[in-house]
Amino acid sequence: MIKGYAGRILEVDLASRTFAFRPLDEDIARLYIGGKGYATRLLYDMTRPRIDPLGPDNPLLFATGPLNGSVAPQSNRFAVVCKSPLTGGIGNAACGGSFAYGMKRGGIDILILTHQSPKPVRLDIDGDRGTVACIDADDLWGKGTYATQAALDAKKYHAVIGPAGENLVRYAGIVSDERIAGRTGVGAVMGSKRLKAISVNGSRKLDMDDPEKFKEYTKWLRELFRDHPVLGSSLKRFGTAGIVNTTNARNIIPTHNFKYGHFKDAMSLSGEYMEEHELVGVKSSCIHCPVTCGRDVMVEGVGRVKGPEYETIGLMGSNLEIPDLKKVAEWSYLADDLGMDTISLGSVLAFTMELQERGMLYAGLHFGDAAGVSDVIKDIAHRRGLGSDLAEGVKRMSEKYGGQEFAIHVKGLELSAYDPRGSFAQGVEYATTNRGGCHIQGASMYLESTGPLTINPQNLKLKAELPIVQQNLACAINSMVLCMFTTYGIIPKAVHNLNPNSIVHRLLTTAFENSGPLFRTVMSIKGRPLLWFEKWLTYITGETFSSGHLQEIGARIFNLERMYNLREGFTGKDDTLPPRILHESTFKHMSSGHPLDQLLPRYYQKRGWDADGVPTRRTLERLRVKV
Amino acid sequence: MSITVEVTYDMSKALGVRSFAVDGVRTVQDVVRMTRDRFGPERGDAFETLTRVAAVSVNGVLINHRDGLRTALADGDTVTFLKAAAGG
Repeated sequence: MIKGYAGRILEVDLASRTFAFRPLDEDIARLYIGGKGYATRLLYDMTRPRIDPLGPDNPLLFATGPLNGSVAPQSNRFAVVCKSPLTGGIGNAACGGSFAYGMKRGGIDILILTHQSPKPVRLDIDGDRGTVACIDADDLWGKGTYATQAALDAKKYHAVIGPAGENLVRYAGIVSDERIAGRTGVGAVMGSKRLKAISVNGSRKLDMDDPEKFKEYTKWLRELFRDHPVLGSSLKRFGTAGIVNTTNARNIIPTHNFKYGHFKDAMSLSGEYMEEHELVGVKSSCIHCPVTCGRDVMVEGVGRVKGPEYETIGLMGSNLEIPDLKKVAEWSYLADDLGMDTISLGSVLAFTMELQERGMLYAGLHFGDAAGVSDVIKDIAHRRGLGSDLAEGVKRMSEKYGGQEFAIHVKGLELSAYDPRGSFAQGVEYATTNRGGCHIQGASMYLESTGPLTINPQNLKLKAELPIVQQNLACAINSMVLCMFTTYGIIPKAVHNLNPNSIVHRLLTTAFENSGPLFRTVMSIKGRPLLWFEKWLTYITGETFSSGHLQEIGARIFNLERMYNLREGFTGKDDTLPPRILHESTFKHMSSGHPLDQLLPRYYQKRGWDADGVPTRRTLERLRVKV
Repeated sequence: MSITVEVTYDMSKALGVRSFAVDGVRTVQDVVRMTRDRFGPERGDAFETLTRVAAVSVNGVLINHRDGLRTALADGDTVTFLKAAAGG
């Protein structure tokens, strides 16, 4: 077996309450690494087209990768893969916390859950003994994610759902500690199986090819990260909320359901404000992660909890025009406890407010007014009254109530908190990413709008190429499984220290945005491992990984996801952006919105797809994607 | 011609103001000069220090993607001094 893997897949049939261990397939591991990649391969092969995502035929896969279980910074994450009940296409989400660590300790690379239990159950897995207990969970059903975890064995690592998952809210997530696999409704699929919680542990240690090199290099790298302006400073001090003032100044923070990109009171929602007024500590971070981006705040009546992330602030603060960090923290806690994705939830609330504003729906919710929001969040999770419609997501709501021109989603997945009208590559990424409108499947915005060295985000240069490289890299990162923040370290401290208005800075960004084909060529070179995640993979597995290897593997995963979506009925017409984003301007110098029509054909061509967005046979053969 | 100048968190704390208006400016360079004049004598080197690490945008677009400090301004524009990078 390749080093770094436990070598075992555990499959549990929830209908028959039976389980079986089987060996991991080394060939698949070489082609797809693990995590999202490996699990997507399994999903494609295990399922027939057009299954009901909330029916018994939709398997739910939890997948780790070779870096999980190590002490590599930002490496304790797991991927969840299934058919999405929100989009009808590929569903996946990644999560920090500690569950990935527990799975690897238990000697499990991938956990496959099939069929549905007739009544609420939880799984208790002892990896050392190779046993799986399927235990009645009537006592836990209805409990929040925090109470559920508190009721479980403290010596084990858990993944649980809250009432939102139980009630099949289409954007319900799965929680580990205080982190959530939030996107695409993976929690609803777990709820459809009536599976409340999974607990796992064991005593296996990660078997590495070269543990000495790994240890030595990781020690050095931890020092490097400690001194890094983003990983060691900004994220450590302000968490992800440290980005609020930047996105606001660059006119890309969602405001009034993405009608505007600037919120006048954004400063009151910023990480800096949180540090000064709300922060009580930094306990809520993922296991073994030195970045500690989690922020602890106090929520009245609850106590010390994880504070809101940037996405939550963007979607539930500025997008609702509510500059009240205490309220956003309360809603963030509520959503985590009920087990819901705050990105989709915030977008649903904003869409509802706009429907109300236009007289198309009476929900008692108004922009700029926090009244009623907490109750509606609870109604959504429990599918009470109008909450049941809101639990369906923006796309389905717009089909019922109208307002498709201001329904902010791609392929049914609500957009993250970066307005693509000020970040063109991010717009291409939203339009083409297989799971829908999400930022973390590439994060092009970091090189356009939020990082230290940003290309001009509003011309056409590099805007088709950059998303491809970033999406491929993200597919590889999510298959190791690492946190995307690890890529922020690629831009060295020296660049951060440049005066952002200097000629040198300008020359560097100009050279980068004009690098086009050269950029992709350099990234595709298969040589020696240079970056840390390439080295970690190499030291752990004994196989050689360089940028070129990861680009190829990432492209393979991305194309397989694409083929899955095509099989499920998606077409190139689904590679679009919301009408508001395409046609309305948020910048003084722009007369229209995002120029997707000028970029998409180039993107398809660079991907090796035909004019309809279908991967050519040659592309699939080159990448060894079997369909 | 009236221009709104916005400063983000750290600068706002140092300068004691979130936003203010300036009149009679034609370029970003004029705004920088007038802002320096406005705060320089009272708050020591704070403005000088902050503008060495802060990026500058006009209506959400970095001046480095336009004409730098020579970027021309129009009535109603917003000039923002912002933290150059953050992780999110």
